[in-house]
Amino acid sequence: MCRPGADTLVRPYKYNGSALVKKILIANRGEIAVRVIRACREMDISPVAVYSECDRPAMHVRLADEAYPIGPSAPRDSYLRIDRIVDAALKAGADGVHPGYGFLAENEAFAAAVRDAGLIFIGPTPAAIETMGSKTEARRAAERAGVPVVPGTNDPIAADVPDANIAAAADRIGYPLLVKAVAGGGGKGMRTVVDRADLASAVRAARSEASAAFGDAAIYLERRLTRPRHIEVQLLGDAGGAVLPFVERECSIQRRHQKVVEETPSPAVSPSVRRAITSAAAAVAKGVGYTNAGTIEFLLDEDGRFYFLEMNTRLQVEHPITEMVTGVDLVQWQIRIARGETLTLDPDALLAPRGHAIECRIYAEDPDNNFLPSPGRIAALRTPGGPGIRDDSGATEGLDVPIFYDPMISKLVAWADDRPRAIARMRRALGEYRVAGIKTTIPFFTWLLAQPEFVDAAVHTTYLDEVLKARSGRPFVEPTLEVQEIAAIAAAVQAALSPAPVAPHNGASTVNTAFHWKSQARIEGLRQA
Amino acid sequence: MQYEIEVGGRTRHVTVARTGGTLAVTLDGRTWHVDAARIDAHTLSLVVDKVWRKSYDVVTTSDAATGQLTVLVGETPVAVAMNGRRQSARKDGGAAVSGPQRVVAPMPGKVVRVLVQAGDAVRARQPLVVVEAMKMENELRAGRDGTVAHIHAQEGASVEAGALLVVIQ
Repeated sequence: MCRPGADTLVRPYKYNGSALVKKILIANRGEIAVRVIRACREMDISPVAVYSECDRPAMHVRLADEAYPIGPSAPRDSYLRIDRIVDAALKAGADGVHPGYGFLAENEAFAAAVRDAGLIFIGPTPAAIETMGSKTEARRAAERAGVPVVPGTNDPIAADVPDANIAAAADRIGYPLLVKAVAGGGGKGMRTVVDRADLASAVRAARSEASAAFGDAAIYLERRLTRPRHIEVQLLGDAGGAVLPFVERECSIQRRHQKVVEETPSPAVSPSVRRAITSAAAAVAKGVGYTNAGTIEFLLDEDGRFYFLEMNTRLQVEHPITEMVTGVDLVQWQIRIARGETLTLDPDALLAPRGHAIECRIYAEDPDNNFLPSPGRIAALRTPGGPGIRDDSGATEGLDVPIFYDPMISKLVAWADDRPRAIARMRRALGEYRVAGIKTTIPFFTWLLAQPEFVDAAVHTTYLDEVLKARSGRPFVEPTLEVQEIAAIAAAVQAALSPAPVAPHNGASTVNTAFHWKSQARIEGLRQA
Repeated sequence: MQYEIEVGGRTRHVTVARTGGTLAVTLDGRTWHVDAARIDAHTLSLVVDKVWRKSYDVVTTSDAATGQLTVLVGETPVAVAMNGRRQSARKDGGAAVSGPQRVVAPMPGKVVRVLVQAGDAVRARQPLVVVEAMKMENELRAGRDGTVAHIHAQEGASVEAGALLVVIQ
């Protein structure tokens, strides 16, 4: 790539803060690293990448001005290595470090290590990460701010608490209830208990999962609301104590407690609930002196009552939908806040969304095979475009989706002036999306967006798990006879036209290359016969 | 050129012949004129002369684990096997209708739990083995009813893609 040196590009950016940030190291990979690189470029800040062994050919390395290897592919040897990442930042002479999400984004020791190295951590303070990272501490912070929490135990239940005491606490809360890991996230260390008799085994299972995943066996209990919706509020806070909430996002479409579709504004939130839930979120954040970007998650019950669930002290995967309806670049504001700027956004405009936005998380998973991960080489890729479409991706043709990390390859976002048009636009974009060589969740989204419950927004957090169970593995897209015939014609034409119907790419994977040679030899053998 | 192509559980006989600038493709006795433009190594644009000149965008790739072809017709993936190759792939690990079913690891990972024992009767879609890969625990299920004949999976062991885990008789 021919590009002038970073130092000739960097010009003083017009800002009202105190710290000059000219170079940022992004302590992440994949699509979120690419997203942060884009924000840096638009602010004339030089982006620095880090990468593990298998990520050498990744998009984020190629788009950055500098790139530093931080170790083997397993996350604990690279993207979770605080020492190596801080070393790389110092070596690069970066002024700041952006953690993205996942990996070290909510690790207070990382935020502290970055600060102690004399660099700016682009996120909240280590203290805020620690307070809101503990689910029981966070519940207390919400109660102090006068915000209702889901009924449950306010203190962590340590590993040595006898079963009888836990059962007594459970009786006070009532069934059905959830057993949750204090340090939990992403659905790990979480169990639903409907029957009192199952409590002890659920506690044991949650503890063992929590201690394996987070090194902390502490759990707590929380009542399970019936058919709640997941509503969350994006916030930005500056160092001067200002906290601004944004219009809510709805993320009720979840599979095993993992969000798969998000939208904003929520079709279930009235203007009065919006006022109440956004000011509740701001009150919780203000109460803990929160700075930078964060999100407060709530459950909304069928009667319109909402309950604090937890706070995420980082950028969210679904941040683009908020950007689409408010016109605010959240990543740029993270950087501006971190370098000491004060918020100059119009608070009323943030609560008055323009149009509607939907995000589908495109995963390298096989929806027709119980959503098993489908790593491998992306043989062909065509991303959708046109009006109102945004594809935040880290994938390129010829790139391997590694087995080591979250298999999300892209976030596809559709914006339109209202919800029905946004759904139509998303369906159009899904139809344009081509990913070959690996299985993706695109056929699943095509099915989901046609479901009457989705179209009518009559969904809740267990809706998807219930319909998937009821479908019991039927394929999401069944090829019609016409499509089957075209597939047969295409396979024959491909074989007839080309001596190497599935040509190897110029990449380095010997496994796939060997396979392609084998298939070519096989087909040539057949042609001789 | 003549091909036997298995798609949707049926074997189709397809011949392809050049006729001037286009191709004459005969599928089970019916012939269409197909204008094929090669876009890249995997992608073809087909314009098929039916009642209308219908345009299809198709992407063909092969699965390294099974040797099967996947043809994306528009957004719809279609599993295709050429000249009976799918049948041999099935012996290796797919959900065959009769004969032993070999359950293999679809991706590299670690065996977290083995949920059945040799001799157990299992039902279709019953979870057999839990393999952790890409930060997720994935249940591998039985393709059909049967009896567990052999267990090759060991809890805690790392497995490669295609490794044999369980045989169902």
